[in-house]
Amino acid sequence: MSSTKIFQVRGQPLPRFPVRNHRMINTVVCGFPIISHHRVSNVLSRTSGPFLGYVPARTDENPFLRGDSNGRFGKFGGKFVPETLMSCLRDLEDEFNFVLSDHEFQVEFTAALRDYVGRETPLYFAERLTQHYKNIARTTGDGPEIYLKREDLCHGGSHKINNALAQAMIARRLGCSRVVAATGSGQHGVATAAACAKLSLECTVFMGTTDIEKQSSNVLSMKLLGAQVKSVQGTFQDASSEAIRNWVGKLETTYYLPGTVVGPHPSPVMVREFQSVIGKETRRQAKQLWGGKPDVLVACVGSGSNALGLFHEFVRDEDVRLVGVEAAGLGLDSGKHSATLAVGDVGVYHGSMSYLLQDDQGQILRPHSIGVGLEYPGVGPEISFLKESGRAEFCTATDQEAIQACMLLSRLEGIIPALETSHALAILEKLVPTLRDGAKVVVNCSGRGDKDINTLIQRGMPSSLC
Amino acid sequence: MATSGTASTFRPSVSASSRLTHLRSSPPFKVPNFTPLPSSRSHSFSVSCTIAKDPTFLMAEAEKTKAAGSDPTLWKRPDSFGRFGKFGGKYVPETLMHALSELETAFYSLATDDDFQRELAGILKDYVGRESPLYFAERLTEHYRRENGEGPLIYLKREDLNHTGAHKINNAVAQALLAKRLGKRRIIAETGAGQHGVATATVCARFGLQCIIYMGAQDMERQALNVFRMRLLGAEVRGVHSGTATLKDATSEAIRDWVTNVETTHYILGSVAGPHPYPMMVRDFHAVIGKETRRQAMEKWGGKPDVLVACVGGGSNAMGLFHEFVDDTEVRMIGVEAAGFGLDSGKHAATLTKGDVGVLHGAMSYLLQDDDGQIIEPHSISAGLDYPGVGPEHSFLKDMGRAEYYSVTDEEALEAFKRVSRLEGIIPALETSHALAHLEKLCPTLPDGARVVLNFSGRGDKDVQTAIKYLEV
Repeated sequence: MSSTKIFQVRGQPLPRFPVRNHRMINTVVCGFPIISHHRVSNVLSRTSGPFLGYVPARTDENPFLRGDSNGRFGKFGGKFVPETLMSCLRDLEDEFNFVLSDHEFQVEFTAALRDYVGRETPLYFAERLTQHYKNIARTTGDGPEIYLKREDLCHGGSHKINNALAQAMIARRLGCSRVVAATGSGQHGVATAAACAKLSLECTVFMGTTDIEKQSSNVLSMKLLGAQVKSVQGTFQDASSEAIRNWVGKLETTYYLPGTVVGPHPSPVMVREFQSVIGKETRRQAKQLWGGKPDVLVACVGSGSNALGLFHEFVRDEDVRLVGVEAAGLGLDSGKHSATLAVGDVGVYHGSMSYLLQDDQGQILRPHSIGVGLEYPGVGPEISFLKESGRAEFCTATDQEAIQACMLLSRLEGIIPALETSHALAILEKLVPTLRDGAKVVVNCSGRGDKDINTLIQRGMPSSLC
Repeated sequence: MATSGTASTFRPSVSASSRLTHLRSSPPFKVPNFTPLPSSRSHSFSVSCTIAKDPTFLMAEAEKTKAAGSDPTLWKRPDSFGRFGKFGGKYVPETLMHALSELETAFYSLATDDDFQRELAGILKDYVGRESPLYFAERLTEHYRRENGEGPLIYLKREDLNHTGAHKINNAVAQALLAKRLGKRRIIAETGAGQHGVATATVCARFGLQCIIYMGAQDMERQALNVFRMRLLGAEVRGVHSGTATLKDATSEAIRDWVTNVETTHYILGSVAGPHPYPMMVRDFHAVIGKETRRQAMEKWGGKPDVLVACVGGGSNAMGLFHEFVDDTEVRMIGVEAAGFGLDSGKHAATLTKGDVGVLHGAMSYLLQDDDGQIIEPHSISAGLDYPGVGPEHSFLKDMGRAEYYSVTDEEALEAFKRVSRLEGIIPALETSHALAHLEKLCPTLPDGARVVLNFSGRGDKDVQTAIKYLEV
């Protein structure tokens, strides 16, 4: 794949960027239709208005741009797609805007979230975990309080269903009979298959061969739920490309259901909106439980759906700290990790501009993490924006740290978290000693770990763990 | 084989019939004629059915029952002897009697202890994730709609959404809290496929209690994932190699441990079987299912369910749903057991259909036994229903005609497993699939608009590997 200088399309001048230690690397959009075998030209949205020529300087006046009408968050986001998809995306955006305010849809969706998904999920005070950190960090016995937002209790075992259900409902409204999706850990695949079964939609899920091996129980679940599982050589990024290709081939009847906040506008905004129920409930529950707001929110970041789901509600509350945790895999220096925000550069991937793991030639790197759901070389554009604007902080946790955190929560609270979630839990060790007494930390327990038992066994966990 | 020292199956010794003479004087029930067991099965001390120590108390109870007349619906369930009609009771060695009465006293006092109730309610809400929804299964309802457009309405009580994925945690959490109140820091349990073991290990981790799970060595091999899960949760899993190295042997070993360590140890029994007060306790801890259902039914359609359906292994999820409605005689109650390879094959677990009355694991109830009173090894594709006995209260409800019991084969259960996954996007546990399978026979007989509430007792993630082998997917 050769690179294209995207900003030289139509003779637009290259924008100037504030000096930072990253370069704007020009990347070809991956995986877009090869139908006519022409090089994909990065057609941007035709609407007039601030183009990429405009890069907002870091200003405090309007610090938290939430995605303008072109789906951009600052310079991130956008709609880097071929012409064939533009009208589709426009229809989707119209439908999305409609359902947001359509009473009938909201009533049906809320009822389904309550009776099918099992919301609202509890905000659980992790007493023994809190005590554990009190004991190792302090001598006075006081310390921060740790709460877990129990998305692991959702139907399907993770937060993914919130979005899958809403979008499947939209697919049905749009008259589509078929849904395609791509999945990494299988959680989004299972959620999509479940929602499609419930709404009588045909479902095809694309999954990388390596992922299929690692998360085989999810593959079986998808098949039982009536979905067709198609394997793609590689991992999630390859499966995504294939899913998009498949979608574009059958646009009239097919709906592409993204599991996370990446992709061309309106996907990042849609997925975030549907996941934002997490944060809304948290605000209400925090008020009930301690009469205030959380002090710190912690979530793992693969592409960013569960993180944005929790953070979004609180982005304007500047007294609430937002902490995202990426996968450092075998270590940031090893080259085997998925820490896009830590070491990535800005580029365009899968239809939007964001940070991504790429080499000097703009080739996408292959990420690694023991948490399969975190293995994505990109990250949602809104997340990139939150980082750039300094609103959220991002750090990393290694495979080993994640495993330790998984074992700790299992032993102390009887909750086996997903390995993805375990990354968020892993940083508590470093975070908690820096917090004041009584600080309220809410960790998004984004999924349960039943799917990871085989991985843990393979890692040679001692057979008796005390 | 004979085991020395401790009781293996709580069964009375050969001369039991003579020891029951003290009961023959004003019995509120008929003493059943069970065949004396061959001497090879007896153990070194005999079980004496010590009930009330005070004969006047015994007389008073009998009078009360006579006053209530022959209407069994007015009888207390259970009475002070732990009996449901003739079923139930406390067929245990003397060493356990004190622990059982202590448990009973603690249970009664905690039932009115506001602090305990508040703490339990909080845990059920924030840890377990209650209340579980009462979900209207639209596509399933459509599936059962007849050609003229009529048909029942199917609702699923979503116990599968609980933490750990089944109803079992309701009881485990409450018993762990109770054990803590009793000052017992050591918990033991037995497990077959591992579900009850995982639930117990979970709550022990949550409450910081030492946890020992007894599991048959054969079962440990077959359920390596669950063994790992229990260990990950901090429990010690002890393999039992005696006998057939399966559930009933694990149960015996657990009981042996309890008898030895009764001062420090609480035995978390997973179902409504066993000696009094367990059937009552476990039922009351699961009764939250029925209580929520009543409230949700009132909210959703302003009435009560017409039919309740649940699968029955030991009977805990069924009692949890039924108990609230037993006195509402217009509510029909249906329990579904496992017919395995078929009722005539001899390989099933349909205790209430094919069993006879006897004593197992400390309680009198129906059980699968041969002519010599030996326990028949049951079979079901679902481990949770693979139990040769059944809770005494179910035996009582059956005999009274208050509840109806049917059975469903492995094949029918697998079909239902696949059907519900495809129609509603919810993968049921194979146990639950038995209840779902029975809808095929039930729904055509129900009037239009009849509301059926089915206890969706667990999710099927644990059964996906098994099911895939049998189903062509």
